This record gives sequence, structure tokens and C-alpha cells, in this order.
Amino acid sequence: MSGAFELAGMRQLPKEEPAQKEKWYKGKPIVAAVVLMLILWGCLCCNLIMTKDPVYMDLANCNVPPCKEFLFGTDTMGRDIFSMIWYGGRISLVIGIVAAFISTAVAIIFGAVSGSAPKWMDGLMMRLTDILISIPGLLAVVLIQAVLGRADILGLSFVIGITSWTAIAKVVRTETRRLRGSDYVTASKCMGGSFFHVLFHHLAPNFISSIMFMVVMNIRSAMIAEATLSFMGIGLPVGVISWGSMLSLAEQALLSNAWWMIVIPGAFLIVTLLCMTSIGNYMRKNVSRRHSNL
Amino acid sequence: MIKKILFFCISVWFLSALLFFISRLAPGDPLVSYYGERAEKMSVKEREWAEEQLGLDEPIFVQYIRWLENAIHGNFGISYKYKMDVVEVIGARIGNTLILGGIGFVLIFGLAMVLGILCAWYEDRLPDRIICQIGTVTSCIPEFWLSLLLILIFAVNLRWLPSSGAYAVGEADNIESRFRHLILPMTVVVTGHLWYYAYMIRNRILEEVRADYVLLARAKGLRRRSVMFRHCLRNVMPAYLSIMAISVPHILGGTYIVEMVFSYPGIGTLLYESARYKDYNLLMLLGILSGIAVIFCNMLSQIINEKIDPRMKADDAVREVEGR
Repeated sequence: MSGAFELAGMRQLPKEEPAQKEKWYKGKPIVAAVVLMLILWGCLCCNLIMTKDPVYMDLANCNVPPCKEFLFGTDTMGRDIFSMIWYGGRISLVIGIVAAFISTAVAIIFGAVSGSAPKWMDGLMMRLTDILISIPGLLAVVLIQAVLGRADILGLSFVIGITSWTAIAKVVRTETRRLRGSDYVTASKCMGGSFFHVLFHHLAPNFISSIMFMVVMNIRSAMIAEATLSFMGIGLPVGVISWGSMLSLAEQALLSNAWWMIVIPGAFLIVTLLCMTSIGNYMRKNVSRRHSNL
Repeated sequence: MIKKILFFCISVWFLSALLFFISRLAPGDPLVSYYGERAEKMSVKEREWAEEQLGLDEPIFVQYIRWLENAIHGNFGISYKYKMDVVEVIGARIGNTLILGGIGFVLIFGLAMVLGILCAWYEDRLPDRIICQIGTVTSCIPEFWLSLLLILIFAVNLRWLPSSGAYAVGEADNIESRFRHLILPMTVVVTGHLWYYAYMIRNRILEEVRADYVLLARAKGLRRRSVMFRHCLRNVMPAYLSIMAISVPHILGGTYIVEMVFSYPGIGTLLYESARYKDYNLLMLLGILSGIAVIFCNMLSQIINEKIDPRMKADDAVREVEGR
């Protein structure tokens, strides 16, 4: 048996433990997403949850504190706050989303035009953006709306939308400038691709991820703006129920010390905003952070 | 420098034109603010006479030219509501806003620095996490709602602090009374902005501690504290100064909103009233003053960048402030 290998024995390899698998939910804003989903679901299916008619003014039961019949109490006009929350949430959310949509659309078009324009025009457009960016958004909305007077849902979203596009436009413009010389854009143009074709098929996929969190933040600030405006009495009228217009009764609530009229709609608003913020922050977060030297 | 001054003038002029046309074209009746309820009962003839008195009957371009001409001579017209020179109306109120905004500004940036350093010092450990969580929550609270909550707790239920105004009736010179009226609005102004800037400082410092010179300094045997305060902070300061300059408009805007909720007699409430009731002359001057503050602060931050820290582009600061 010479010349052949002989099996002398086997060394037991240390059994390799599979590396601790990262939990799939680690670092993801699961709680925020679930809460936001619940609120969204509640608002969309408000007919299933509402215990009373949200617009019915039950004058016999004004200013009732939270009790069994009126879960969150009633407001100064005798409407049931529990039903109003779900019913009005839809309008708050719609305004947030529509306003963010308008601002994103304006921003993408403005940014792309500026990014692909000749240098002098680009400079001019960016100067304009710089000026607009330094005007505090909420203040601008309040002033424009105060000048315009009362508003409806679309008008309000429009005003909020056109005052909050600047930050996104800057990002879009930078990306467009970076990409406009690349080969595939040139190729697409040579084949007769129009401005919008190039924008949506070649440029948008590149900047969409970097503006996504800003879009979420815009929804958030639009909702804040709506609430502030309605509270000040220049947004939605009291008859149109939203979380903001519910708070516009706050002055009367203060006089009668009716905390539930202020705390409950505000709490819903803030929880929603908080969920959006943590989702937005997750989108922005830089995963690979370097180690501290300190 | 000349270019900057020119740009400044053009911006202010542009702003004035924009404000003028938007406010005039928007629906609303300025006569209501001048004559109050009576304006609604006026006959056509009386209306015409009143409009002629206020110079509102002419074409809008002529009105603008006339306004511009007067403004350059320092005559900004009278306020329809207060029937006084607008400069006087604003002069009586601007002090209150400067007190609120100015003290707020100092508090915000002082506290933001402390919080930012604290967070960066304990990065990802318990104190940092707690502060970050609380900060995120406070940044989500709309200013007007926080004001309402504070009024509800401290003014309505506990009766410790007044809920509106800048001083008790007839006690304009009483410092204690003024101070008591300042507490609630000031709390809102500070909490509304504090976390935003603190978080910015925290991230700046965290970027800084990842630089190589920190490693070298530590290797040399310097203590953490001295590296942090002597080396890292010094590098963060120029950016901080420029952010301070550029944030003035935002804090001013926040102050305006808080003023409106607390009916604090500052120029924020005045601006809102004048926009709402079409008090054109007042609106124009207030808008332009605020605009000048905005443009001036932007330029200041640019100059700070260029002079102190040429590494930083003005763009960065702008983008960061707008990230909110």
C-alpha cells in the first residue's frame, strides 16, 4: 500500500456558527410605519369607526368632556371629536400629499430646466432660488394666505406647494448638471428623446432616492402649515373638518378650559408628524458611518 | 463690494414691486380697514370719494410709481387702521419683537451649542439617545399648538403666567411685568428652533471627530476634553457663525408666528393684521423691512464664509438651513 495516502484520522472542524443574522427590522422605523398605517387606515375607513356623524351639531351636548358616549368629548359646537378626528384626518393628509406633490413637480421641472440651461440662465434661476429659500416657508404661506383670504382644500395645497419647492429644486439641479453630459443622455437626445422623456426616463431614476426624504418632509411641513393656517382662521373654514380647523376652536376651548379640544387633535397631528419624521430620517440616514477618532 | 450693494438694492426693489402688486391684486377692501364697519354701508359716491382720498382710484402702475417716489423720500404713507405714519406705528412695536427675537436668538444658539456638544460627547450612548429622541419629538410639535398647550397649563389652569400681551395694562415700564409676559412666548420660540440647530452642531462635531488630526492629537496623549474644545470646536465655529447669520430670518419668522398666537404687540402681529385687512402702506414697509433683514443676513453669512472659512461654500449653509 505504499505510495498511497493513508487516512490517519479526521480532525473535527470547529462547527461554524452562522454569523448572528441581523434582524430584518433592525434600524428600520417599524413602529412609526405601523402607527402611520393605522392612522391612515382609520382615516380612509372612517365610516367603519365613527360612532357619530362628524358634522352633526348636537347642541344639547356642547363641551362634553370625554366620556363613554363621546369617546373624546365634543367641541363647542356639539360635534363628536372622536368621529371628527378620523373624518378630518383625511383632509389633513390629502392637503399634505397634494401640496408635497405640487412642490415636487415644480421643483423637478425648475431644477431640471435650470440644470440643463445655459450658464447665465442657470445662475439667474439659482439666484432666484437662493432668495426664495431664505424666506421662512411657514411665514410666507401665512402672509400669502392672509392676503388671499379664505381658501378651499386645493387652493390651500397650492399655496403651500408653491412656497416649498426650493430645497428639492437645488438637489435636482445639481444632479441634472452632473448627468447632463453623460453618454446615455446624449444618446437619448440623439434618438430624438424630448426634454421630458430624458427627464423622466434617465434623470429621475438618479435623483429620486436623494429627494425622497425631502418629499416626506414636505408632506410633514405642509400638514403643519395647514394646521397653523386653519388655527389662525385663514385656512379652512370651521365647517370643513380637518385637524387644523378643529384647533381653530381653541380660543373658545381656552375660555371654557376644555383641554380635550386642544390636546386630542394636536396629539393626533403630532403623532402623525413624528411617524413621518422617523420614516424620513430613516431614508436619509447614512448607513456607513465612519468610526470616531475621539 | 459694489456688486453686492447693487444686488442688495435690486433685490429690495424687486421685493417691493412683488409685494405691491400681489397685495393690490388680491381680493379685499382696504376701505374696511380705514373706515371700519362704515365702509360697508357707503354709497357709491362716498366710496369714490374715499378711494380718491386714499389715492386708490388710479391705475395700479401709477400707484406703484407714486409709492416708490414717496418711499425714496422717506415717506411711507399712513396706516389705514391706525391713522398714523407707518414709521411711527412700527416704531412703537418693533422694540417688543427685537426683545423677543433677540433674547430668543441668544438662548437658542447658546443652548444648541451646549446640547450639540453634549450629544457629540456621548455619541450613541444613553444621554445622546435620550436627547435625540426628545429633540425629534419637539421638532414635530407645531409652534402654535405648543403655545396653546402652555397657555392651557400655565395661564388657564395654574394661573401663574399671563396668556397674552407684552405687559400688564398701564405697566409698560415695569420690568417684572414684561418679564412674566415674555416667559411663555420665549419658551415656544426657543423649543421651536432649538433642536434643529443643536442637531446640526452635533452632526458637524461628529464629522469633525472623524478627521485624522483628532487621531493624531489623541495619539499624542491629549485628553478628550482638550481635543474636543481646543481642536474640534474651533473648526466647527466658522460654519456655526455662518449658520447663525443665515438663521436670523427663520427665527424671526418663528417669532412672528408666536407673536400672533400670544397676541404679543410686536411687528409679527402687525404684519398679519395688515396683510389680512389690506393696510397697504403698513404691509409694504413691514414686508420690505423683513425682506431687508433676510437679504442682509444671507449676505452676511456669505461674507463670513468667504472671510473666515473659504473651504465652505455658501450653498452648504443654505441647504442645511432648508433641510427642515
